[in-house]
Amino acid sequence: MRRQNQTSNSKIDIVNVIENKLKDRVQVQLGQLGKAAIITNNGLHRNVLKAMVDADEKTAITAITGLDLGTNLGVLYHIRTSNGFFTIRAEVPKDNPKIKTVTDIIPGAVFHELEVSDLFGVVFEGNELQGHFVLSEYWPEGIYPLRKDVKASEIKLNPQPQEEKQPEAGRVVKIIIGPQHPALLEPEKFAVTVDGETVTKVEPRIGYVHRGIEKAAESRTYLQDVYLVERICGICNTIHACDFVECVEKILKTEVPPRAKYLRVIALELNRLHSHLLTLGHAGLEIGYETLFQYFWRDREPIMNLIELTSGNRVYSSLMTVGGVRRDLRDSDIPTIKTTLVDLRKKLPFYRQIYENEPSIRARMQNVGMLKREDALKLCVVGPVARGSGVNIDVRKDEPYEAYGEIPFKEIVYTEGDTWARMNVRMDEVEESINIIEYAIDHLPTGPFRVKAPRVVPVGEAVNRVEAPRGELFCYVKSNGTAFPERVKVRTPTYANIPAFLKTAIGENIADIPPNFVSLDPCFSCTDR
Amino acid sequence: MSGTITWARVKSPWVLHFNSGACNGCDIEIVALLTPKYDVERFGVKLEPSPRHADVLLVTGCVTQQCAERLKRVYDQMPQPKFVVAIGACACSGGVFAGNYNVVGGVDKVIPVTAYIPGCPPRPEAILDGVVKLLNALSPPKPKKLPKQAKQPVMPAQDAKAEVAKQAAETPQEVKPIVEEAKPDVKQ
Repeated sequence: MRRQNQTSNSKIDIVNVIENKLKDRVQVQLGQLGKAAIITNNGLHRNVLKAMVDADEKTAITAITGLDLGTNLGVLYHIRTSNGFFTIRAEVPKDNPKIKTVTDIIPGAVFHELEVSDLFGVVFEGNELQGHFVLSEYWPEGIYPLRKDVKASEIKLNPQPQEEKQPEAGRVVKIIIGPQHPALLEPEKFAVTVDGETVTKVEPRIGYVHRGIEKAAESRTYLQDVYLVERICGICNTIHACDFVECVEKILKTEVPPRAKYLRVIALELNRLHSHLLTLGHAGLEIGYETLFQYFWRDREPIMNLIELTSGNRVYSSLMTVGGVRRDLRDSDIPTIKTTLVDLRKKLPFYRQIYENEPSIRARMQNVGMLKREDALKLCVVGPVARGSGVNIDVRKDEPYEAYGEIPFKEIVYTEGDTWARMNVRMDEVEESINIIEYAIDHLPTGPFRVKAPRVVPVGEAVNRVEAPRGELFCYVKSNGTAFPERVKVRTPTYANIPAFLKTAIGENIADIPPNFVSLDPCFSCTDR
Repeated sequence: MSGTITWARVKSPWVLHFNSGACNGCDIEIVALLTPKYDVERFGVKLEPSPRHADVLLVTGCVTQQCAERLKRVYDQMPQPKFVVAIGACACSGGVFAGNYNVVGGVDKVIPVTAYIPGCPPRPEAILDGVVKLLNALSPPKPKKLPKQAKQPVMPAQDAKAEVAKQAAETPQEVKPIVEEAKPDVKQ
């Protein structure tokens, strides 16, 4: 595949750096779980990570995967650098699952560690945050649902919830937003501490949409999992299915036919189009500009019709399958797709002009939620949030998957770092998506649109990254040779972007929280899984 | 008077949307209902943020452990008579997530449900159809005009409306569920 937009940073060879610094103390397996898997023990994962961070400023943590290995618990740190994707392996004994935190090296790891400690019971020594983050407050002590010995039907919840600390009275007031709140489409809770009108602290509590998809995936076959994983999110569903399917294809070593790659790109970009239009409109709603919301959603409907036309359903298309796509694109549909896209493109200058010139948009969005480039790197944010702060990361460019390596498109980067910049990244990406779809339709290869993939998945594991509308989406699948996967882990972009919200909200006016928050394009059904 | 109340209720139901752990599929379709293509407000349906002003509770999602208690609390805050519409396969039965460790599964395990709209997610047309059917159930159909020669006694419309309103006011929990089938795709 063709690689584009290589930066000077990519000349750094991380593998060399690690082998020079920690020669005999760690084991490097090239080509495993990304570019290389690095096996560590006795707390050396911190040294490896430190070496990576020192060598490359773009080093960021993508996810931490917990694994039940029988007597031990595995902890996999998935690290992205500008030189490729790496996995650091560590193991802790199950009866004393303690490991040193990495939050002092990479602050963005804090919620990843919290999730692993909630679901696997691994104690991260040094991580200040404790307690349930994903699970219910009624959850019984000492039961960790993703361990293999826990049966879903045998869990009995506590009759009484864990007590929450009451805020102290005084000038500082704690405002609870959620779980059911008019401004939130989804049930989540944010405890915002305000001093007068200024926000001093934001404490998130997610998990209201936690459905245990990762555990459920272990008791379903690979084919059933495609439909289950797709239902992580109703907005960016196609990309979730694509991510999982690519992961399984990596284990199977199945090569997807070229036509399927292009058809997948078309489906993914249609998905991105509707998701971005949705968010751009939703931002209008949050700043009290309802006309903009109605306009954007009016123009989103033709895209929904296209998704229905090409895949058979408005929302859950279930287009992706192992080995290709389930449906071919009919030649008779192509003129409809093209005219709809041309119509949408004609409307874009109007919207761009609104975002550029409308005083209410500028007043509510400019200089709100400032995220500086160094903070964006430190907090490991992804997608339009990172690209709005001048960090050029886009999996489509960095590690092209499907047909993205063959399709020319621009990587949109704004350097302002405020809410306005993040929304404008999406605005420009709408146009890029239209270009990509048009290019893909014009250059659609002939041939089969799927190959028959073997039903039995051999023992193995794979990681995969794709660029969802909200940013980098990560998937890890481990197979044990049976019909069911051993472990499925999904890290969604919003999960990586929450720290950015917590950082940017502090010091700003409480009334700026909604536009700031919506500029992350938050999706909590993704986040909680 | 009760006839007027029924009329007002049917002509302008205020709905509250509660996400009890949905994947956003149904939720976005509900929001799409408010937008120009479907425009549910032409039926007088208004999305209302407060449970204390709402007549109809639209519930989506498979009801996670965290949300079950909140769902009950929101339902209790609504004034009588109140109606619950379960939207989507998850809200109807737990759907693909039934049996997971953090999922109660099905809105009717927590609160009584008046109407079910299955689908994953149901199309906006199906949701619209379900809401309109619920409203029709509140106001009985007007008696058909019979040919003059067959002078059969007809129940006065006023009484029928009053009867339904009375029933609804007294025993909202016992309103028979209206099982609503998702409409097949109109276009294909």
